[in-house]
Amino acid sequence: MTEIPLLEIKDLRLSYATERGPVWAVDGVSLELRRGEALVVLGESGCGKSSLAKTLLRILPRNARPPGGQVWLEGVNVLAFPEERFRREVRWLRMSLVMQAAMNALNPVIRVGEQVAEPLLIHRGWSKSRALKRAAEVFVEVGIAPAFLSRYPHELSGGMRQRAVLAMALIAEPDLVILDEPTSALDVLTQASIMNVLKRIKRERGTSFVLITHDVATSSELADRVALMYAGQVVEEASATTFFRQPAHPYSRLLMAAVPRLHQREKPVGIAGRPPSLLDPPPGCRFAARCPHNSPACAQDPEVIELADRHRVRCWLPVGGGVP
Amino acid sequence: MMLETGADLNRDRAWMRDLRRLALFVGKRLVALVVTVLVGVYLTILIANMGGKVDELRLVQIKTAAAEQIRADPAFHDLPSAEREALMQAQVQLEVDRLRLDEPFIWRSFDYLYQAMRLDLGRAEEMHSDAGSRQVYNIIVERLPATLLLFGTANLLVFFVSVYAALGLSRRYGSKLDRAVIGLAPTSAAPAWFYGIFLILLLAFVVPLFPAGGMVAVPPPDDPWAYAASVLKHLALPVTAMFVAQIFISIYSWRTFFLIHASEDYVEMARAKGLPDRLIEQRYILRPTLSPIVTSFLLMLIGLWSGAIILEQVFNWPGLGTLLFEAIGHRDTPVIIGSVVIFAYLLAATVFLLDFIYAVLDPRVRIEGGRQ
Repeated sequence: MTEIPLLEIKDLRLSYATERGPVWAVDGVSLELRRGEALVVLGESGCGKSSLAKTLLRILPRNARPPGGQVWLEGVNVLAFPEERFRREVRWLRMSLVMQAAMNALNPVIRVGEQVAEPLLIHRGWSKSRALKRAAEVFVEVGIAPAFLSRYPHELSGGMRQRAVLAMALIAEPDLVILDEPTSALDVLTQASIMNVLKRIKRERGTSFVLITHDVATSSELADRVALMYAGQVVEEASATTFFRQPAHPYSRLLMAAVPRLHQREKPVGIAGRPPSLLDPPPGCRFAARCPHNSPACAQDPEVIELADRHRVRCWLPVGGGVP
Repeated sequence: MMLETGADLNRDRAWMRDLRRLALFVGKRLVALVVTVLVGVYLTILIANMGGKVDELRLVQIKTAAAEQIRADPAFHDLPSAEREALMQAQVQLEVDRLRLDEPFIWRSFDYLYQAMRLDLGRAEEMHSDAGSRQVYNIIVERLPATLLLFGTANLLVFFVSVYAALGLSRRYGSKLDRAVIGLAPTSAAPAWFYGIFLILLLAFVVPLFPAGGMVAVPPPDDPWAYAASVLKHLALPVTAMFVAQIFISIYSWRTFFLIHASEDYVEMARAKGLPDRLIEQRYILRPTLSPIVTSFLLMLIGLWSGAIILEQVFNWPGLGTLLFEAIGHRDTPVIIGSVVIFAYLLAATVFLLDFIYAVLDPRVRIEGGRQ
């Protein structure tokens, strides 16, 4: 199939300048996502997954260096766009974001409705009343009463705020919504209901999602595809079924073994050790120090191997004798 | 259609609710402030009168004055001493009645409070206004415009220049200009009058461009335009001194303030939404931080009263600072107390204004007023 992917990330690199040298938070990440798919980017804290989200929307902090690599959005490398063109053409119209700390993602002194409707005013030039009417519709879609449009953020509960932020991300009907830990600050029931909203929107609107999370259980609900990140790199990229049933990378397998399951006899097993510092990552495979299959070959940087169609893994193991 | 009317109704209701909360909040704050001023002024009265002890001193003073007056008057020289004594007693009684010194102090203290609150500040002991009035109120009010003109001009200038410069600098974080301003911040360690002395030396004596002191040329020009021009010329040096003394530290602190608030999550969100930079600055940086900005602005206005004494002395500026300096020199208690009362009023009015502005600017403040 020669379908042009909606999003294609090629060798994306991002570093932060620190006093002790550059920290490579995103180090050669390549990913692809087709229209209507949901890609879950899994990874533990500090593996660079939030940096990836910020690089995609180009909202990097001051100490970040200009990113390297390419971000293709339906065949156009938007990373090469000048800032103003990127702002006008890509932000929110093509790609929107639900932030990690949704509690503070809303301006405390502006009514929720105005903030949710704002992208339509700015990017589409709609009138305020028309945009607010649209905001009311999206509010219903994500499960908040439109009456809350005229409230201030502090008058909403945490779950409602998160829904409002979600409504804001959906209002301009972007092709791609990036969700950075959208439910990590919420209770389990609210998490579940927000995941249900996302599933419904994906089904009804055909919106594509990039869901960034450390929560394996929650992510499995929405995922079509999974990319697992470790120390700034993608170590495995596969369809959700393959990833959750037959992961190829040792880290993926250990991670799956660490997830507690219902009706499971064995205790979940932790992964010993800690991820390497991104300031000065060790040569070769970054997971080698924690890997049960560590071999001399791991001192060399592992190649990315395509095991099957759209199933890639960054490991020497499948080459030397296949999956043990 | 249903949706539209519903939304409109909702918006109207939200406005009404906000207005009600605002009124309730402001009302409560007003009551609290009136009580605060009452307590503050009453305490000042108690302290200034040493809880009534001053009355005894005053009685002695009255007796001495009456005795002195009768002894000094040649018309009474021939009177027998008993009659002179009676005359003196009558004179003392007259004063005691006038000041109601025979009544308990606690009663009179409430009268004093009532008078003070009505700004009936009494007569000065030594000083008088330029127009010749002995009324403390007139003396103070006469000086108020001069102080307001000088400090108002300087503070507005410092405030707006520094906030806008800081906003610009926070955008150019780490640039050469940014570092230069940070490097210059310690210049604010020296007070305004210190720069004032140098400015007078350089620009009034070495190169006589500006007058060395005063508020207007002597004699004052009759033509209003010429008068204004003369005031402006006299204003230049003290305003420059205050500006130089405050501007860099002010820019520096505002710059840091904006940098902190520019990294709020909702600012990042606004950037992700693709809003233009100017809009982000206005709606997402300036607006949420307006309350602290306004606070520091108004507190700066109040705070500079204390610095005014020396600066006004250096520039011979006929303001409240000079007045207080003179009043302390003359030990003119009513003028000193009067200044305190007026200051209390200004402070309370400022705080009230602040509360009101807070509630308008920040919806979170109103909640507290609305909660019973």
